Order: sequence, then structure tokens, then C-alpha cells
Amino acid sequence: MKLAAMAVRAAVGAAAIAAAAIAHADWAPTKTVDIIVHTGPGGGNDLLARAVVTMIEKEKLSPVRMQVINKPGGNGAVAAAAIYEKKDDPHTIGFITSVWIAGPLTTSEAKITVHDLKPIAGLILEPAVFAVRADSPFKTLKDFIEVAKAKPGTLKQSGGSVTSRDNIVRQSLQHATGAKWQFVSFQGGGERLAALLGGHVDIMVIEPQEAGEQVRAGKIRVIAQLTEKRLAGYPDAPTLKEAGYDVTTTPQIRAVVAPPQQPAEASAYYEKLFAKLKDTPSWKKYIHDNQLEEGFSTGPELKKTIGQIEKELREVYTQAGIKVVR
Amino acid sequence: MYGFVRRGDFWSGLALAGLGAYILSEASRWTYMGEDGPGPGFFPMWYGGAMVALSLLLVAGTALKQARPGKAPSIPELRRALTCWVAFAACIALMKVVGFMVAFALLSWFIVAVMARQPQKVALPVAIVGPVIFYLLFDLALDVQLPTGLWF
Amino acid sequence: MELLAGLLHGFQVALTPAALMMCVVGVVLGTVIGVLPGLGPSATIAMLLPLTFKLEPTGAMIMLAGIYYGAKYGGSTTSILLNVPGESSSVVTCIDGYQMARKGRAGPALGMAAIASFIAGTFGVVALMLVAPPLARLSLAFSAPEYFALMVLGLAMVVLLAGESLTKALLAMFVGLWIATMGTDLFSATSRFTFGQAELLGGIDFIIVAIGVFALGEVLGALEGEKPAEVLPVPKGWRNLMPTWDDMKRCRFAFVNGSLVGFFIGILPGAGSTIASFMSYGIEKGFSKHPEEFGHGAIEGVAAPEGANNAETGGALVPLLTLGIPGSNTTAILLAALVLWGFKPGPLFIQDSPELFWGLVASMYIGNVLLLILNLPLVAVFAQLLRIPGYMMYPLVLGVSIVGVYSVSSSMFHLYLLAGFGLLGYVMRKLDYPSAPLVLGLVLGDSMEKALRQSLMMSGGEISILFRPIPSVLLAFAALLLVVPLFKKFNAVRVQVIDKEA
Repeated sequence: MKLAAMAVRAAVGAAAIAAAAIAHADWAPTKTVDIIVHTGPGGGNDLLARAVVTMIEKEKLSPVRMQVINKPGGNGAVAAAAIYEKKDDPHTIGFITSVWIAGPLTTSEAKITVHDLKPIAGLILEPAVFAVRADSPFKTLKDFIEVAKAKPGTLKQSGGSVTSRDNIVRQSLQHATGAKWQFVSFQGGGERLAALLGGHVDIMVIEPQEAGEQVRAGKIRVIAQLTEKRLAGYPDAPTLKEAGYDVTTTPQIRAVVAPPQQPAEASAYYEKLFAKLKDTPSWKKYIHDNQLEEGFSTGPELKKTIGQIEKELREVYTQAGIKVVR
Repeated sequence: MYGFVRRGDFWSGLALAGLGAYILSEASRWTYMGEDGPGPGFFPMWYGGAMVALSLLLVAGTALKQARPGKAPSIPELRRALTCWVAFAACIALMKVVGFMVAFALLSWFIVAVMARQPQKVALPVAIVGPVIFYLLFDLALDVQLPTGLWF
Repeated sequence: MELLAGLLHGFQVALTPAALMMCVVGVVLGTVIGVLPGLGPSATIAMLLPLTFKLEPTGAMIMLAGIYYGAKYGGSTTSILLNVPGESSSVVTCIDGYQMARKGRAGPALGMAAIASFIAGTFGVVALMLVAPPLARLSLAFSAPEYFALMVLGLAMVVLLAGESLTKALLAMFVGLWIATMGTDLFSATSRFTFGQAELLGGIDFIIVAIGVFALGEVLGALEGEKPAEVLPVPKGWRNLMPTWDDMKRCRFAFVNGSLVGFFIGILPGAGSTIASFMSYGIEKGFSKHPEEFGHGAIEGVAAPEGANNAETGGALVPLLTLGIPGSNTTAILLAALVLWGFKPGPLFIQDSPELFWGLVASMYIGNVLLLILNLPLVAVFAQLLRIPGYMMYPLVLGVSIVGVYSVSSSMFHLYLLAGFGLLGYVMRKLDYPSAPLVLGLVLGDSMEKALRQSLMMSGGEISILFRPIPSVLLAFAALLLVVPLFKKFNAVRVQVIDKEA
């Protein structure tokens, strides 16, 4: 397995060095690029990273191999520290999600935060939708909120951690409308969906991809979407803004960062690499198949987005009574 | 005569009571009952409290129970086991510097030559072949990352 | 008869040379992964995903599934021979399996593990095939209150694992609960018992504790002696390599127990194979005519949990394939794989993709047979492993433990934790604290606390939610479990008093 790969790698590496020496042009990686992710194998970012590696290979965008390094733990804190330790290594990058921004706000253990790392490019936005069971009396989000206002605390929403987007949207909506409903945290997406399907909760925020099959089978209904524009898969569900709720929805981003002192040419290379990737047919297919939103942004834009998200999160958490430590 | 186990119960009981007390003190800093249900302090309070109660019961029991005719603790035995543990911990500490292969080779040699008192002609080959097999099996064939240090 | 037609069609798909090859590759790889501690099927499947793009989807799924249930077969090997759990669910097998090995019965233990795995695994596939859709509805009826009651029942089984001192067993369990509490609280984002370390925010992975306490504790204990003897007696002769007919008869109940318990717990998305194996072990011991043998090498103590963790794979596929809901890390990756290949796992899956479903089911029958054929001779091979002199075995165990833990966590911090738990394991051995309750507390504590808080959140604080039909039954069993030993003790004292007076 690895022996053959090593041989190929050596050959490609030699060719790349030769090419770079001859071309004498922009910087290009000369050895395997490590992509550090904060989940174990099979987790969200891990799968994304592996998909990206496959796509880059397929579209022949990189002269060298890329490999995924898993550094799970601490909601991204361990991976952040791992990337930080690489200081000026041009052959390391990392994939982040909004959890990297949210985590340090509530946990003081994280020594390295996303601000200590160099933003390279934003890749994807993950949209979500509000879903109810098919036999639910709520036809629109307004119905749900009315009942929640009239009978505070009786309706229930299943979701993830109390710092997750699921709860952030809930807090924002509650704050804006004066309604009140319960939030029940479940560790895994499967459990959350099972709670909704089993009638134990009334509503949930779910990713379009997870919802797809249930909708098709007629088990759940989508009543609103947390996106800027309506998704292709749900032409009939209004966005939050259209439904009249102009609240913070805190986009879930997936983006690329690098060690803080990475040389500028290397960072520029990666930014260009991902810019090229986003125009390839494999990427477009991936976005379409997984019902994601294109969210490419350059390094400086990403930095601004991160700052904005953090500001919003801080506001919502403080409002919700969640302790913010920095 | 005091049985080792009884004395062990006494001290471990005290240690666990201490742990329970620590758990209770930490748990008291967190919300016991939030508006939505039990908070983060709820569960630790209960098992922390139970831990204190049971461990004190254990300690009390050592005073009341008859000394059991158990084996006396063999200090040399304990020392041997603890030496091995120290070697293991040292091996892990070294791994960050010299990498898995060298650290593991040293540990293997230590166990074979020093603990098991085998002659060098047995110890050295084991110490060298062992890490190599691990490398071949895990790093090369299965692509499992082994801890690497400054050198390998 | 639609069932039969589907199954026949499935065998047609599964018996093509390509599919068969995929099946073989999958189960062999799965067995290897299972044997090696730490390295689990979820990591392997994730790593192989990109390679599967070049393959035909049905074949790829057959291979990945083969890795999934094949790993459960292999997991018992190091548990029995080295007291190192190869897979989280194999921890329970260590308890009696290793003791059997110490008595020279490693062969029968390994053989019985394979046989029980085969019987329960096949049952799991049959059940998956016959009752998947209605069972899916049952699995949805289970939510937090039901899980809470289930976990309480599981913890009540500590009584059965106690041995001599119930107090010490309970204390060990509480320490397990404490370790389970470490990390970020899901409901309030508070950090609990993290000692300021970022690595502890996610809690401590159970396998690190299990390997430390069981395997390292064992090695340290063995190294006490001046001349560490040969590690384990080697079974002599062919007769001693396999379980006897007597063994098979003794395990009749265990086969049924493992199959049913494993499968039913498998269909619940919130409960995994570790819980299944513990429950099945507890039930086996509870109904046994000679419970005092458990913990000292009772062969049923190997058959029940090994069967349970295999039947659980069949069960876990029920919510995955009929609802699109994954119940564990591994099934989550399988779900991702299916989506990647363009399938749509959900309520309409069986309808839309019958060739994949039936092909998979048929391949699982074949796979289980292949695994039995593969694993039985391996018993002889592995038994030879026991010829390695003790002083070479210990470094082997230590090395495997280190690699196992590092492969799961990729962090030196966790290796230090491993060392710490190794010391804890040794101390517990010396002071007669049973280690199984600690592991039980660790595995169940987390789920139990979450389930309780979720239940109360769902009911708005009303504790009556815990007394819905299903939880009430489970809690009643738990209460029985806790109360009966007290009655027995009370009775024993009463008899003593009566005797004295007579």
C-alpha cells in the first residue's frame, strides 16, 4: 500500500523539483502537503478533506500528494495547536469549521485559537432547514412561533450542543419574537432525527442532505430555510428573511487556514489552488450532491468573516446566558 | 496481624473519600438544577456524594473487620512492578524525542535484559527486531501513524 | 414470497466473482483490523473510502460491510490472549476469555468466540432481512427516557460483576462515572474536570482506559515475579484447541442471549455494541446456574458478549438502511459512503435500491460463513502465539497498547494517560478492586447522564416522563437486580440466626 505510494511520491517529488527549478516561477509544494483536521477518521471535516484530496488529484491541480492528518480533541483546540506548532511550514494547512470560532469563546482551556492562525480561503457554507414531522400541525414557521408564544416552554426542538447553530438560531428567534420553546441536546445527528421522527420533539434544524430522504419519503416537512437564497432542493420553503425573521443565523463555514508564519508565496499558492478547485466540475458536483452552498472567499475576506461570526456568536451567547470566557 | 488488603482498604478508602470530596467541591461550582432540567453539577454531586459515603464505609469496615489471613505485601514484588511502570512512562516521555522505534527498543531491552534477567544475546535481538516488526506491520503495511520524535 | 424473491436476487448479486472477492477482502481486512487493538473499523473504512470510487458500489458496500462485522470477529483475539481489548466491544470478552487462557483453554475460548459470533451474526442478518421495517418503528419509540432506563439497568448489573466486595465494585463504578463526566458538557458548554487541559475537552476515550487498566495492569502484575514464567499455558493437542460438545451445550442459552440482546440493542441508535456485550454478559451471569464461575473462566462469559457484539452489527444496519439514521461512528461512515455513491438511505431505500439491500444481506450470510471458516483454523495459529516466552510477550503487549492508543488519538498526551491508567489498573489489582465495574461506569455513565437530562428537558422537569411504559419495565428490572442480592444476604443472616437459636 504505502510502499508503492512512496515510490510514486519520490518520482513526482523529483519531477516537481526539477520543474520548479527550470520554471523558476511561483512557489509550488515539493513534498506531501498535510491537511490537519479536527475530527477523527469519518468525521465531517475528515470526509471533506478526503473528498478534496481526491478531487485535487482527479483534476490534477497539485504536483504533489496531499494527505489528511487527524488531530481530534477539544473541539478543535488540539488541531489548532498542532497547526500553530508548524510555525512556518509551507507544507501544512488545516481545515476549520465554525466550531473553531465558537469553541474558544466558551472554553478557557483552548490556548491557541483560530485568530492565531493564518486564514487562506473560505470553501463552503453549510445551509440548514427547519423541519417538522409530516403530520405536524405547523405548516409554516410562523405557526410554530405563535404556539410557542402562546404556550411558552411546551414545544421542543432537538439539536446539538447548546453552543451550536441550532441553538443560536433558536435564541435569536426567541429574542426577536418573545416566543419560548425547549431545546433538547443530542450528541449525534441520528439521535436528533430519531427524536423528531418518533414524535418526542416538535421541530429541528437539520442539514438539507440529512433531510433529503426523509422528505422524499414523506416523513418530514421543511417549513423554512436558513440560507440567503432558496436552495434548489426546497423551492417552496421560505428563507428566514422572507418569512419575516431577519435574525442572525451564523453561517456554518468550512475554510482553510495555515500556520501563522507560513511564507507568503506558499499561502498564495494554496489560495489559488482552492480558487481553481472551486471552478472544477468535480467540485461543482460535490457541492450539488451534498446540497451545500458555494462559499469561496479569499484570505482577507475569510479573516473578516471570522471576525464577524465571532462577534455575532458573542452577542448571542451572552444574551442566552451562556458563559463567554474571552 | 494486619492484613495487607485491610490496610490497603484503609488507605484507598481515604484516597477515594478525598476524590469524592474534590468532586463535590467542583460540582458545587456548577449549576445543580437549571431552568430546563439538571445542570452540569447534578450528576457529579450524586456520585461524588455516594463515593464519599461508600469510601468512608470502607474505611470504617477496616477497623471492624477481622484481619484476613492474606499474603503479606512483598516489597520486592511491588518494587519490581513499579520499576517497570517507571520504565514504561520513561519510554513514552522519550518517544517525543527519539521516536517510537528507539524508545520501544530501549523498553524492550529493559524488560528482557533487566527485568527478566535474560542474557544479552537474547535481549539485544529482541530489542532490535521488535520495533522493526512493528514498523513494518503498522507504519508500512497498514499506514498507521507511529509516534515520531526528532530523529525518526 | 417477495422476501424469498429478494433474497434469491441478492444471492445472485453476491455470488458473482467480483462481489465474492470484495466480500473476502472485506472480511479478511476486518479480521486483521479487529485483532489489532485501537485500530477500529470506522477509521479503516474512512481511509478506504476514496479507493472505493473506482469500484462498483454494491461491491464496495459489500467490502465495507465485511470490514464492519469482520472486525467483531477479530476483536476477541487479543482480548483472550493478551487481555488487551481489540475493539471497544471486546472488553467484556477479556473478563472470562483471558481467565480461560490462563487455565490453558485459550483454544476453546477463541473457538467459542468465533462460533458464537457466527451464530449471532447470522441471526442478526436473518432478523435484518425479516423484520427490518417494523423494527425501525420500534427503534423510534425509544428516546431519552427509555435510554435512561436502559442505562440504569446496565449499571445495576454492577451487582452481578461485583465479586466479593460490593462496596469496592460500586466505588470502582463511581470512578468510572467520574471519568465519563470529564469533558465539555453538551447541554451547558461548561468544562468539567478538564484540569485546564485542552486535550480533555472531549473526554477520555474509553479504549485508552480499557487498555491501560486491563492490559497494562496485567503486565505490571506479571512482572512482579523474579522469573516471569511462560505467559500462558499452551493448549496441548488438537482436542484442546476447540470447544468441546459440553462447552457447546453449556452455551446454548448464551447463543440465544447474545443474538437477541445484541440485535435489539443494535437497532437503538443511541446504544452501541459495548453496551450490548455488557448487558448480554450480565444477563448470562444472572441466569446462570453457576454464576460464581464467571470472572474466572466461564465459557459462557465469552460466548454471550461475543455473540452480542456481532448481532449488534445486524441490528445497527436496521435504522441505517430503513431510516437513514446511523447509530454509531461506523454506521455514520457507511451512511456517508452510501450517499457518496449516489444512494439514498432512508425510508425508501429498500424500495429504491433492492439490489444493494438484498445483495448486502446475501453477502452478509456468505461473509459470516467465510469468517467462521477463516477464524477456526486461525485459533490454532494464534494458540501458537502463546509459545512466545513471557519476557518477549510483555514488550509485545506494551508496544501494541502504545500503537493502539496512538492510532486512536494521535497524541502523546493520551499515551501519558495510558501510563496513568496502567498504574491505576495495577493498584486496583493489588487492592482487590474489580475493574469491570469501572469500565461499565465509564461506558454507561455518559449516556445515562445525557439521557436523564434530555428526558427532563423534554418533559419540562416532570419526572413522570421516566415512568412511561418501556422505561418503567426496565427500571423495575433494575430495581429487582439491586434488591434481590440484599434479600439473599438478609436471608443468609436470617438462616444463621435461626441456626444459632436451634
